[in-house]
Amino acid sequence: MVYMTYLLLIGLVLGLAAVASNPSPYFAALGLVTVAGMSCGILVGYGGSFLSLILFLIYLGGMLVVFAYSAALASEPYPEGWGSWPVSTLMLVYVLLVVCVSVFFSGGWFEGSWVTVDEFSEFTLFRGDSGGVALMYSSGGGVLMLGGWVLLLTLFVVLELTRGLSRGTLRAV
Amino acid sequence: MTLTHYAFSSSYFMSFLGLIFYRKHLLSALLCLEAMMLILFISLCLWGLILASTVFSAGPMILLAFSACEASAGLALLVAMARTHGTDRLKNLSLLQC
Repeated sequence: MVYMTYLLLIGLVLGLAAVASNPSPYFAALGLVTVAGMSCGILVGYGGSFLSLILFLIYLGGMLVVFAYSAALASEPYPEGWGSWPVSTLMLVYVLLVVCVSVFFSGGWFEGSWVTVDEFSEFTLFRGDSGGVALMYSSGGGVLMLGGWVLLLTLFVVLELTRGLSRGTLRAV
Repeated sequence: MTLTHYAFSSSYFMSFLGLIFYRKHLLSALLCLEAMMLILFISLCLWGLILASTVFSAGPMILLAFSACEASAGLALLVAMARTHGTDRLKNLSLLQC
């Protein structure tokens, strides 16, 4: 399981390098899907299965569909993948930068640093993280109301931003 | 600093560099911003999980709600820009500037 987690971490860094090297938005969205999947695996490896489920459903199901739709909106005739040289050079530079900096920090890497939550409660019904999320509805009610209010406010912000050509916030003067 | 911390820090700074060194498409910048929010979510989850303080698990939920707000506002800017300027290239914003 330790090596599996390390493999997922390496995949996370490589996927982030693929997003950060700025290919066309189709490919960047694919890289973001990869990063989200890897991070779901990492969260499962650390024992947070409910948080991983939340991440998978909300992030992959909600946001990335919107991002794929927007990539179709802002399409271009000649998309630039990781095969073209500016993108591949930038990705190589990022990966080399990470590898070079890791020389300075690799002193404290040992396998004992991998600790899962709820390590000795294999037979309980509730995982610790789902119980922690459930606390949001009792003790964290104020923050929950704040989050709902912010989401409602964002709805009006989005409606005001995309209102029209001459009435919206962003205008072609 | 363990390998997990190093992986999250380095990927956060990589997406940060990808955000600030890119001036061509708006959507690529938004994707880098979204990757930064994803890394923040993961590291906030792992903070509670490694320290075994699972009471803190409500924090990533709130962060995810706020990042949904941020992503929707950014995509609304993208849609408004595509409606007024026809494309999402940032050079097109100052094309007819005199």
